[in-house]
Amino acid sequence: MNNLIRTYRQVELFFGNMKFAVFIILLFAVTLAYGTFMESYHGTEYANRLVYKSWWFMGIQFGMFLSILFATLLRLPPRKSLYGFYVIHAGLIILFLGSFVTYQSGVDGTVSLAPNLPSRQVQVNEDEFKIQFPAKGKEVIIPLPYSAGKRNLGFEYEGVKLSTFLPFAENKEDWIFDPAADKGQASTKYRIFNDNFGEFLTLSLHPQSAYTNTQQLGPLNVHYMPESLADCFAKNTPDGLIVWNGETTGCASPERRDIRRTRQSTSGRELVEVSYDGQNLRFMPEMSPLPLDEKMELNELSQYRVFSKKLFEKSPHLFLFGKKAAFFDKDTQKWEAHAAGPGQEVSLPWMGFKVKTLDHRTDAYPTMVPHYIKPIQDNGQVTVGNLKAVEVEVGGKKFWVNSQEPIAFTLNGERITFELTKRSLTLPYEIVLNQFKMDNDPGTTNPASYESFITLFKGNEGSEKHRVYMNNPLKHKSFTFYQASYFQTNEGPYGSVLSVNFDPGRFWKYLGSLLLVLGSIWHFVLRKKSVVKPGEVRA
Amino acid sequence: MLKFLLVIIISISGSWAQGPMNFCTNDLETFPVQAGGREKPLYVLATETIRYITGSDKVGEFSATEAFCKLSLKAFGMPLELPVSVKVDHIEVRKLLGMKEDQTHLPVMELTAKSDLLMQKTQEIKENNSFKKELNKVQGRLSTYQAIVGARAWTVPVLEKGQISFVPLSEFLTQTRVESAQGKGANPVSYLFEVAKRDYLSVQGEKYLLELRYFKLNLFVWALFASLLGIILFVVMKNKLPGAIITGASIVCQLTAMTIRVMISGRAPITNMYETVMFSGFGALIISIIIFYFRREILFVLAGLACNVLSLMMMKFANGMLDEGISPLVPVLRDNFWLSTHVTTVILSYAALALSWILANSLLLRARFKTVTAAEYRYEVDLIYTSIKFGVVLLSAGVILGGVWADYSWGRFWGWDPKETWSLIVLLVYIAILHGKYTTLIPPTRFVPLVAGSFMSVMMAWFGVNYILASGLHSYGFSEGGAVFLGSFFAIQIAVLILCLSKSGSQVTPS
Repeated sequence: MNNLIRTYRQVELFFGNMKFAVFIILLFAVTLAYGTFMESYHGTEYANRLVYKSWWFMGIQFGMFLSILFATLLRLPPRKSLYGFYVIHAGLIILFLGSFVTYQSGVDGTVSLAPNLPSRQVQVNEDEFKIQFPAKGKEVIIPLPYSAGKRNLGFEYEGVKLSTFLPFAENKEDWIFDPAADKGQASTKYRIFNDNFGEFLTLSLHPQSAYTNTQQLGPLNVHYMPESLADCFAKNTPDGLIVWNGETTGCASPERRDIRRTRQSTSGRELVEVSYDGQNLRFMPEMSPLPLDEKMELNELSQYRVFSKKLFEKSPHLFLFGKKAAFFDKDTQKWEAHAAGPGQEVSLPWMGFKVKTLDHRTDAYPTMVPHYIKPIQDNGQVTVGNLKAVEVEVGGKKFWVNSQEPIAFTLNGERITFELTKRSLTLPYEIVLNQFKMDNDPGTTNPASYESFITLFKGNEGSEKHRVYMNNPLKHKSFTFYQASYFQTNEGPYGSVLSVNFDPGRFWKYLGSLLLVLGSIWHFVLRKKSVVKPGEVRA
Repeated sequence: MLKFLLVIIISISGSWAQGPMNFCTNDLETFPVQAGGREKPLYVLATETIRYITGSDKVGEFSATEAFCKLSLKAFGMPLELPVSVKVDHIEVRKLLGMKEDQTHLPVMELTAKSDLLMQKTQEIKENNSFKKELNKVQGRLSTYQAIVGARAWTVPVLEKGQISFVPLSEFLTQTRVESAQGKGANPVSYLFEVAKRDYLSVQGEKYLLELRYFKLNLFVWALFASLLGIILFVVMKNKLPGAIITGASIVCQLTAMTIRVMISGRAPITNMYETVMFSGFGALIISIIIFYFRREILFVLAGLACNVLSLMMMKFANGMLDEGISPLVPVLRDNFWLSTHVTTVILSYAALALSWILANSLLLRARFKTVTAAEYRYEVDLIYTSIKFGVVLLSAGVILGGVWADYSWGRFWGWDPKETWSLIVLLVYIAILHGKYTTLIPPTRFVPLVAGSFMSVMMAWFGVNYILASGLHSYGFSEGGAVFLGSFFAIQIAVLILCLSKSGSQVTPS
């Protein structure tokens, strides 16, 4: 027992010591200054994750709390000269406790209201990962750590593994090795340029690539096609048709013997009938390269395609085949094909443009992979690092799920969806935005006020109409709604964002603050004890 | 269309053929206009705009009002050239525009010819660095000039159904309007303006003219002279009455100016940097007099006057950093009792801490270059301590009121916003000093330099958050007014500290 008391005395003397107070106060101040610079460079969320909401910052605040508490306990029983001191420190202790209550059970979120669409979801600034098994009607929610750096989640559930979480990321182009890919799944990186302009262009035929096989650069259309088609584009045939079998990757021009063709004209469009590989195929090449079935509808499952090169002669079209490039030259009125292997340049007949092949691969495909990055704030906006991502491993496949869109995956015939979102709470009533009103300063476009006219639908209790505007929040059953922001909907009218707040520590924080201010006036101002001026005698 | 108007005016009124000389006089100063969301006299709009473009209040021999008027009439084909030169601050931008490094202004015609270059360069630069900011500023000045010569900057009141609305000059001086005024008044245009002003006065009254008086009176300049004279009188004369009278005169000047400003803007005078400097300088003087009342020590009043003079000088000379214009508030700051209370308290606390800063630096320098007895040293340390106590009490109240305001406006008591965080840092710094003073960590000889240096945290919270933190990662180039000011302040303060601490043991003699 005596030992215990002695240990307690030691703890009390350590934390209640004035030197410890100076140390912890300065440590707190330096940390805060560091936090403000981090916020300035990397944005509010990064600063919160790195400093203000981190465990070690909580630790420093707890150190402050201990210092205040033990400094007070050390100076008991009360002495009259220290009354101000007791009030200040009691105020601070209450303030800390109130803040802790808010931290533990307060709610600080936002509700986004599109006009006339009821909502009851309050979005909180915490991330979570949702795995849904719609067939089983099951949903798993994994709260994501509030960290500034990347974290290993180490989570596993029914064959789904979550490995890395990136709180701040940017998509970057990565080439993924795929030995199973065939020649028809090639990917190539090009640069198209002239003297004043240049752009990189990545095109891919691989189904898992983030890149497509067509792209528009101003007036120029770029098409990326399997290499086997290159020879047919190079040939100048009178009707300019190309038939292609995607499975055998063979292509042919209809001048060949085994291709019989007739022409009919229905509704002004050209209908082409081709006999190829012993099959009778009907196409409307002006409409689509896909063949038509008996009902004259497009057959999307067919392996055949017919291209009419005439379609690509009027405006600039560039056809790229990995190691070859083809285009129609208006001056010579001929199709030209050029070798365009890696490192080679081809001059194009438009505005002095050239195309250069930088990289061509058939055993790998380019895709966008999120990489961790410290966010960058510029002019009050986070411009880099707005993406969050979680790496998922399921059925032997690894892929990233980011905060922009949910991803569906099929495992053994069962559909699983993955989603990275903000956590949300459900209100016990529905809110509808009837109107959002914004006034400007006279003669300018500067906003002067924002107002939301809302209705609360409370089921059996009926409904209430309210007006929320700047500095005039709506208080409803311990929740407070503030006018926070607004957004423009696609349809035109403005939607409104209200911030939603529930603060159970509010009373204690106010009480603590009041004591602190009164105590400091008592302690510093009302106590007169000053040094006498040299040469003067105090009466 | 606009260009033909001059022909019409000349054809229907002979006197106007003499050019705009008769029309564009300083009598137009009182003409009511609407700009930046407020109604004000043309003098204010013209001076602010011309100053924004050129950095000075005159164009050649003409006053801002005359120049603004003449430039506006260019839209109607008035053939005149004014020597308008656009201010260019950044050296890199000067180089880009083919200016010499020490050339501060570029004639507007030359700049117009290079506007494509400016635009192209602005688009080229991705990051928002000081170079790009200056490019944007120069383009802003150029487009403001173009708005004037396009007769879009000058707005004219029009009475319709008993209500006043404002239209740009280009839409006001239409052919039909001028023709309908033919034969009335001295010339049709002057007549139209007379009617417009009379109509405005009949509905809105003369309240807007207060702003003209406010700017013309220059009360803060008078206060600056008075405060300076006050310091001299207090130091030189044994009798303290003349000093007290002149200090009183300075206070009256500032109080009157602030009252007029409040009447014009309809809000507490603490909503932008200019006003906080103004209010803190005044606050420092008032607080020093309050402390003087308790402690009967004239040093406080001297320190208060010194703070007052410094802030008045900043208001007069730091135009690049502090904008004296009165503009409407952003919504969240409107009708806000807690904001006013919070900012007032914080600014007053900074004023009290400024007193401690002046006293500490003066003691440091005197102890370094003259001799100070140990008793005097101890006594003055106590004076510094007194002003810090005032500062800390006010600041803790201010920080907490900031929480109350945030709770009231945003629904959260504390959010680690940089401005509120830095006000807390300042509080922590001074609290640490007050605690340390009770330990062996901070004896009096360390206390004084610490107090002198700690004011840098106040400057950081006050100016640094706005001029350094708010501009973000890409603005290391300390080229803007605020950052330069703050950088120089830190450099000078650190130099003073090094100078005073370099010699071990300051010249404190035992008493």
